Amino acid sequence: MTPAPDPEQAQAAIEYCYAQGWSDGLPLVPASQPLVEKFLATTSRNPDEVIGEIEQVGRNCTVYLAAVNAAMAGCLPEYFPVVLAAFDALMRERAARGGGWQSTSGPAPMIVVNGPVRHELGFNTAGGAFGPGFRPNATVARAIGLIVRNAFGIRPHVLEQATQGLPGRWSICLAENEEESPWPPFAVDGGLPSDTSAVSATLLRTCEFVDNRHTPDPEHVLADVADTISRTGSLIFRDTSAGVVFCPEHAQMLADAGYTKADVQAWLMENCGRTGADLRRAGKNGLRGIARFADADTSADDAFTRILPSPRHVPIVVAGARNAAISMVVRIFGEWSGTAVEVTK
Amino acid sequence: MPYPILDPTGTTATATRGPQAPHAPRRRDLRGATVGLLVNTKQNAAPFLDEVGRLLVQRHGATGTMARTKVNFAAPAPDDLVKEMTTACDVIITGIGDCGSCSASAVADGIAFEAAGLPAAAICSDAFRVTADAMAELRGAPGYRYATTPHPVAVLGPDQVKQRAAQVLDDVMNLLTEPE
Repeated sequence: MTPAPDPEQAQAAIEYCYAQGWSDGLPLVPASQPLVEKFLATTSRNPDEVIGEIEQVGRNCTVYLAAVNAAMAGCLPEYFPVVLAAFDALMRERAARGGGWQSTSGPAPMIVVNGPVRHELGFNTAGGAFGPGFRPNATVARAIGLIVRNAFGIRPHVLEQATQGLPGRWSICLAENEEESPWPPFAVDGGLPSDTSAVSATLLRTCEFVDNRHTPDPEHVLADVADTISRTGSLIFRDTSAGVVFCPEHAQMLADAGYTKADVQAWLMENCGRTGADLRRAGKNGLRGIARFADADTSADDAFTRILPSPRHVPIVVAGARNAAISMVVRIFGEWSGTAVEVTK
Repeated sequence: MPYPILDPTGTTATATRGPQAPHAPRRRDLRGATVGLLVNTKQNAAPFLDEVGRLLVQRHGATGTMARTKVNFAAPAPDDLVKEMTTACDVIITGIGDCGSCSASAVADGIAFEAAGLPAAAICSDAFRVTADAMAELRGAPGYRYATTPHPVAVLGPDQVKQRAAQVLDDVMNLLTEPE
């Protein structure tokens, strides 16, 4: 039997990482050259390749630095291609290339994994989709957070100015439940063929559940989702973007009634919004450029203002267990790029 | 220990404006000066800077103002905009730094104009001092001075914005000039 590692040495190494300011608050796996080499061996990309840059803070991230941070996050080496794809997908988001990581909104990446890689690496594709409990889901998301903290140097209270942040920051990595979804995989919406191992990503401002399990009418479910999407609190600009992570039960109910994903998106685009009076009550009825502000004008009180301008502003994913009719509205920071990134070796 | 623990931060800095950013020579006063106003689109930034500019003309003898808007508040001003304002103006006011990224970038803009030879005064909400200071350090100008106004700015009405502009005026003058 292999003797257990020396706990005091392990503790000392963990404390060393804390003392350097590298940790997100939880213990890190101390990264060594042999470990990081195993990560780098999983990809044909050059360790010096720059995979992201935040111009205003003068920092970038290379494949090598991503590997060190992924190792520290607790990833296994074989997860590394998924980390790289997730990071590439995030860097397609305007907000993630700009000031998003510094924002008072404190947005959280939402990473969606599709295709065979989900099972090859043991991603959770079923119950508890938003976590925790599963190493690939938890550590891939955490790796992104460590890259932002360490490679970009954007740390809380300094260059990162989140007012409250949000639950789930650096921990949301869903593997779509393709097996129980009635619709094509999310990566297909992002432009890739079905059965491709792929990652999509965007930034979230929060998540809110829609628990609707006692109606046989799919329009009731859609109306409930639309009411949640249409809350005034999240309306800052003329347009908004809110995805829906449907549970398999809701998705199947909708599909059985003949709804394609595009039908669901069209229904939500038509029905999400508020009256002028509702917006005025919340001080959000006026527009300056694209920003909402309080306007005393009551002439538009009866008009219904729609808030989702295109299907891309209401992306649809299927995740979770087929054991209750509970779905999640995910509020997107900025807008999703509409593209997925293939996981490559 | 056979292997060191690896550093996840890297050392590759890609900042283009280099270490030890220069500090532009100060003017004795603002008589005859054109004041550049770099507005970052944050709520109340335009009326705030307009009023600061108006007061500098009215009370301190500046000739006039030239306002330009930076479309992406999170990023530093594009080089061509810095160049245009440097050519046309004598001193620069940037702001309002009123969010995580835009406070930092308002200060970064101030430092860019200093490097181009113009005295600059960035104005930030006082809630963002730490991030503004951190950006100054990143830009090679640790301890770079800027003006602050109490947080919040976005909710102020037109008259309150004018009061705030008047309150910050002395600090702005102190940043831009060095009377003999």
